[in-house]
Amino acid sequence: MLGFMLGEAVRDLRRAGRVAVSAVVLIGFSLVALGGFWVLSTNLGHAVARWRDRVRIIVYLKREPAAADVPALLARVQALGDVVSAVYVGKGEALDSLRRVLGKDAAVLDHLPSNPLPASIEITLAQAAATPDGTRALISRLAMLPEADEVAGGMEWVERLAHWQRLLSMIGLGVGSLLAVAAILTVTTATTLVLYARRHETEIMRLVGAAEMVVRLPLLLQGMLQGLIGGLLALIALGVAHRVTAPHLDPVLNVTIGLPGLEFLSPLNLVFLVAAGTLLGAFGGWLARGPGR
Amino acid sequence: MIQFHRVSKIYAVGLVKIPALSDISFTVDKGEFVVLAGPSGAGKTTMLRLLYRDEVPTEGEVEVLGRSVPGLRGPQIAELRRSIGVVFQDAKLLPGRTVFENIAFVLRVTGTPRRDVTARVFDALRAVGLSARAQSYPAQLSQGEAQRAALARAIVRKPAVLIADEPTGNVDEAMAAEVIDVVKDVWRRGTTVVLATHQARLAVSLKQRMLVLEHGRLEKDG
Repeated sequence: MLGFMLGEAVRDLRRAGRVAVSAVVLIGFSLVALGGFWVLSTNLGHAVARWRDRVRIIVYLKREPAAADVPALLARVQALGDVVSAVYVGKGEALDSLRRVLGKDAAVLDHLPSNPLPASIEITLAQAAATPDGTRALISRLAMLPEADEVAGGMEWVERLAHWQRLLSMIGLGVGSLLAVAAILTVTTATTLVLYARRHETEIMRLVGAAEMVVRLPLLLQGMLQGLIGGLLALIALGVAHRVTAPHLDPVLNVTIGLPGLEFLSPLNLVFLVAAGTLLGAFGGWLARGPGR
Repeated sequence: MIQFHRVSKIYAVGLVKIPALSDISFTVDKGEFVVLAGPSGAGKTTMLRLLYRDEVPTEGEVEVLGRSVPGLRGPQIAELRRSIGVVFQDAKLLPGRTVFENIAFVLRVTGTPRRDVTARVFDALRAVGLSARAQSYPAQLSQGEAQRAALARAIVRKPAVLIADEPTGNVDEAMAAEVIDVVKDVWRRGTTVVLATHQARLAVSLKQRMLVLEHGRLEKDG
């Protein structure tokens, strides 16, 4: 029975002709928009998570403490709360670090009369405190330490990135939803046309006592087929777009937000997109109303 | 098998009320052949539509195969219709499908298993003498053949009741005789037949019980 109804759905789809093609294309567009913004949002999300993990607060000390005093100082820092780790960096260590960064130009440091770099403590925040407010609160607590000369670090730019990510998600959802509504209406139109074209079949079906489900299911299946084809076309379009743009975008992303490359949607995301297309089509088919009961 | 008890049907067109049937009562027993005769507009089609629940009476009771028809809803209507075959003046064959597909369509949409479809379609085609035209499209058939194909479609589910609404209205005399022969064959195999016609000569020639309608009233039963 299902095979027969699927056959009827395919026959109906052919009958709908260009309107069905428009519906497929519109579903494809809406899913490409949704998928495209999803790719951007996912990648920004990864960048935000990555940078949240890397956020450090550095307390520059007025003078280098004696080695014996360091553990007590670190313990006091830990006791301030919201601190996952506190690492002491002595003046010598800081200079070595700078030397490594300067590479072949490091010789310039040999001409300095003394080591100008201060000793410092590098602090990693607890996950719960990795917000602008949490960071500000910890910075002000750290500034109260008598040994602290200056406290540096913050979350503002990471939050700005997160803000862009949320904005992109919302724009994607908005554009995708608008196109989805248009797609549903087009599927409904295509199905309504089919209903008119097949009114004799419907009349005969009702006359001979076909169950209402048998009358309606081919229409639903026809909508689902349009959605499925639209979804698969969207996947192909997204895949091709990713393949073409990723090589150009990867170096830019690496330099600007530190991502190794533009990540594509996961298989689960792709399944979701195709399923969303199929559901859109089914909804359009379900909404259609034709002549008769 | 079929019972009309004081049935009236009034169509309302805006504020105007048009009586189609007035106070009709009769009974049809199982296996009977009843001819519904009367001029166009007498109410024959309305009466037939009440039988398969395409209309509901304004007053009175219609009973078919032990069921009170006006009270039937959704799936119950479908169940009733699966026991009734209907043929119209216009064959109403689906133009994009062959004769075989037109008849198979009825079986498929009512849930007949695929493996049984071919045999049952050819049984029906043999019964109407149309096996050779199974692969023809409706446009390739004469009007008589089209009407016989419609009859095959109506009987393929072996209905308890066959309703024929002016089945010879669109065909010439020779073809009409062929169609009537098929209807009689179906009746002889035990199906109850209700045939409506405005052709008085045909009604008389059938030599069956006749219900004569005029202006929505049952003028004669016998």
